[in-house]
Amino acid sequence: MRNSGAVLILTFIAKLISQAAGVSPPGKPRLTSCRSPEKETFTCWWEPGDDGGLPTTYALYYRLENSETVYECPDYRTAGENSCFFNKNDTSLWVNYNITVVATNALGKNISDPVEVDVVYIVQPNTPENVTAVVVHDDQGPFVRVSWEKPRTADTRSGWITLLYQLRVKQEKDKEWEEYDAGMQKYYNVFSLHPDKEYMVQVRCKPDHGFWSKWTQTTYVKMPNYIPRERSLWIMITIFSVFIVLILTWTLNVKRKSVKLCLLPPVPGPKIKGFDKQLLKSGKSEEVFNSLVIKGFPPTTDYVDLMVEYLEVYDNEEQELVLDGKDLSEDCMKSKSLSDSDSGRGSCDSRTLLLEKCMEGREGSGSDRHQYSQHGETSWASSESSESQGPEPGSPESTDGRVKTWPVVFSSPQPQPHHHYQNGAVKPAYHSVPEILSHLSPLATPSNYHQLPPQQEGRFSKPACRHSQSYNQFNLDGVNPPVPGVSQSHSLEYVEVQTVDPQNMLLLRPLSDPNREPEGSDYAGEDYSRVKEVTSNNILLLQREMSHQCMNDYNQDLDSQADQCTTQQPPHPCKPAIHQLNSGMPQEVMRVMGNGYVDSTVLMPTY
Amino acid sequence: MNRVKVLQAWLCCLSLWPCWLSHGVPLDCKDEVGSLSHCASISQEKLLDRVIQHAELIYRVSEESCTLFEEMFVPYPLHALRNQGGNMCHTKPFPIPGSKSEIQQISDKWLLHSVLMLVQSWMEPLIYLQTTLNRYDDAPDALLNKTKWVSDKLLSLEQGVVVLIRKMLDEGILTSPSIFEHTLNPYNEQSPEVLESVLRDYNLLICFKKDAHKMETFLKLLKCRQSNKLSCLSY
Repeated sequence: MRNSGAVLILTFIAKLISQAAGVSPPGKPRLTSCRSPEKETFTCWWEPGDDGGLPTTYALYYRLENSETVYECPDYRTAGENSCFFNKNDTSLWVNYNITVVATNALGKNISDPVEVDVVYIVQPNTPENVTAVVVHDDQGPFVRVSWEKPRTADTRSGWITLLYQLRVKQEKDKEWEEYDAGMQKYYNVFSLHPDKEYMVQVRCKPDHGFWSKWTQTTYVKMPNYIPRERSLWIMITIFSVFIVLILTWTLNVKRKSVKLCLLPPVPGPKIKGFDKQLLKSGKSEEVFNSLVIKGFPPTTDYVDLMVEYLEVYDNEEQELVLDGKDLSEDCMKSKSLSDSDSGRGSCDSRTLLLEKCMEGREGSGSDRHQYSQHGETSWASSESSESQGPEPGSPESTDGRVKTWPVVFSSPQPQPHHHYQNGAVKPAYHSVPEILSHLSPLATPSNYHQLPPQQEGRFSKPACRHSQSYNQFNLDGVNPPVPGVSQSHSLEYVEVQTVDPQNMLLLRPLSDPNREPEGSDYAGEDYSRVKEVTSNNILLLQREMSHQCMNDYNQDLDSQADQCTTQQPPHPCKPAIHQLNSGMPQEVMRVMGNGYVDSTVLMPTY
Repeated sequence: MNRVKVLQAWLCCLSLWPCWLSHGVPLDCKDEVGSLSHCASISQEKLLDRVIQHAELIYRVSEESCTLFEEMFVPYPLHALRNQGGNMCHTKPFPIPGSKSEIQQISDKWLLHSVLMLVQSWMEPLIYLQTTLNRYDDAPDALLNKTKWVSDKLLSLEQGVVVLIRKMLDEGILTSPSIFEHTLNPYNEQSPEVLESVLRDYNLLICFKKDAHKMETFLKLLKCRQSNKLSCLSY
C-alpha cells in the first residue's frame, strides 16, 4: 500500500518535473509516402512527430497481407533520414504491405497510422537523363531537337516497365510552360520558336500506371537569328503588289479620259418632244414642263362622255347598225378592261378588236339603227335580214359593209355570250371573224383591221375566198325589207324567220309580232325556228318540230369554187358542224348549233 | 421497286456477314473444326499487341470501378483496410511469383498459361459481382456498366490468349470453363448493404484489379521477349 502510493506520488512528481523540464513522449510520426522507382524496390518516408525533447528513435514495421509476421525495415540509411528502403529481395509485387512507424523515446513511444501499400501502384520513376537540345537548320527554318535518356534504373528493355515522356519549353520571361507529349520516344522536335531568343527545356517521364517523375534540370537553348521565311515571303509579296498598284495608277492617270468614259458613260439627254433643253438649263422649269402637259390628261371630264353610246357600223354608208348605247357601252368598257387584263389575247381577241370598231363606228352617222340582241345567233339571221338594203351581192363594197356588220354584232363583249357557246367551235369563230373579214375585203382599209395578227391571217389564207362572202349574202340576198317593228325599237329583240321564199328570201318577223303563228308550238317554248336543211337550190328548210337531235347530215354541195375552199370539219355528233353550201350565189355557210339553230356567222372550221 | 430494294439490302447484308463476324470478335480466330479462320492473316506481333491493349483497358476499367465502389459504399476509415478478416483473393492453382527476378525466370510458355489461368479464374466471379452490384440500391450506372464491360472483354482476352498459345507454343487449348473452386458463394440471404458484404465485394474488386495488372505485366514482358523485332531495345 505504501509502496504503490509512493510509486504513484513519485511518477506524478516525475511528470511534473518532466513537464517543467519540457520533455514528453514522442509525438505521433506520420508516413508521408512510399515510392518505387523501378517496380523492383521501394522506399518509404515518414515525418517524425514531436520528439518530446528527448532523443527519439524511429522504427518501421511492416506486415505482408495474409501474414501476421511483422518485419522491421531492413535498411534505414540508403534512402536518407527518416526513410526505409526495401531492396529487391524484400519487395513483393501484388502484395499489400501494412506499414507502421513507431517513435520511441525515454518516456514512451508512439505509433503512426498504418498504411497499405502495393508496390505496383506506387511506381514513380527517376527523371530522364542527359537532356540535350540542339538547333537544327532546315529549309523551312531552324528548329530545336530535344533528346534524352531513360532513367538509369528503369528497365524498359525487358518490358518490365513502360515509360511515357513529356517535355516543356518556355522563355525565361514567360510565365507559362508549353508542354509537349513525346510518347515512348526519346526525342522531340520543337518548332515555331522565335529567333534570337533563349529557351528553357525540361523533361519528365511516367510509367503506364503510376506517377510522373520530377522535371529534369533546365536545359538552355538559344535560337539563331534568322528571318522567318514566311515573313520574307510576305514582304516580297507586299512590295510586288505595291509595285503593281503604282503601275496601275500611273496607267489610269495617263488614260484618264478613256477610263472616265468607260466607267461613267455620258448620260443621254432627254428626248421628249416639246421638251426644250435650253429652257431647262436656263432654269425656267415652269415653261419647260408646260410643254409636257397634255391638255385634257388626266381626263377630268365626265367619264360618261367617253363612254360609247352607240356602235355604228358603216355599210357602204348606206346602212348603219346601231346598237343600244348603254348596254354596249358598258360592255365596251368592260371588255376593254378585260382586254387590258389579258396579256396576249388583246390583239387577237376579236372582242377587243371589235371594240375598236366600236369606237370607230361611233363616229359614223347613224342612219338606220337596228338593235341586236346580245345573243347573236338568231339575231344574225334576223338582223341581217332586217338590214338588207339590197346591195349587190358580191360587190366588194357590199361585202365590206356586211363584213363590217359582223364584228359589231360580236362585239357584245360580255362574258355571257361566251357561255352560250360552250363548244370550242364557237370561240375560234370569234377569232376568225375579223380575219375573215380582212380577207373578204381586199379593199378594206388596213387601218380598220390593223390589229389582226399576222399569223392568223396566214391561217386563213386558204379559205380566203368567197366563203365568207356567203355569210353576208346569205342574209342579205333577196331578203325582204326589214321587219317592221324591229328597226325602230331600241330594245334588242329576236326576229323570227317565218318562211323562206323560193327566191331565197327569209321572211322574218319580230317575236313581238302578235300575228305570230304558233308554229313553234311544239318547240318547247322556244320561238326560234330551226333550219332543217338547206337544199342545193339554196333553200332553207326549216323544221317544224323541235328536236334535240343534232343535225349533222348536211350535205355539202360543192362546186368548183367550193372545192378550193373546202372546210375540213369532221362531223361530230351533237356538236356544231360547219357546213358549207356552195351553190353559186349566194353561198351559205351556216353553223348548226346543237339545238338546231343556225348560226351563219360561223364560217371557219373549229380548231 | 420496294422488293428490289429489299432484295439488295439482303444481299448486302449477306455479303457483309463475314465482316461482322470478324469485327464482332477481334481476337477470335476460331480455328477450331468447322469454323472460319479469319486470323490466318494476322501476324503474331499484331495479335500480341491487340491482346496487350485489351489487358491495358481491362486494368484501367477495373481501377475505375474500384474507385467508384470505394467512394460510394466503403466508409472512409476502411479505405486502407483491405484483406481484413479473412477476405483474401481467391487462390490460384499455382502461385505466381511476386518479384521481378522470379518472374523474369518464367518461361514464355508459363507466362501465357499464367495469363490464361488468371483470365479464366475471373470469369465467374465477375458474373457474380454483376448480380451483386445490381442488388445495391444506389449503385451508379457507370459502375454496373463497367463491370459488364469488363466481363465481356475478358472473354475476348481469353480467346486472344488461346490463339496466342496456339501460335506461339503450337498447343491446342480448350477453353474450358471454370476449373477452379468456387470460393465465392453468393450469399443471397444477406442484404447487400451490410458492411460485411460491402467489404467482401470491395475486396473482390481489389483482387480483380490486381490480377488485371498482373496479366498486363506478363503480356508486356512477353512482348519484349520477342526476339524477331528487338522491339523493346529502344524503349
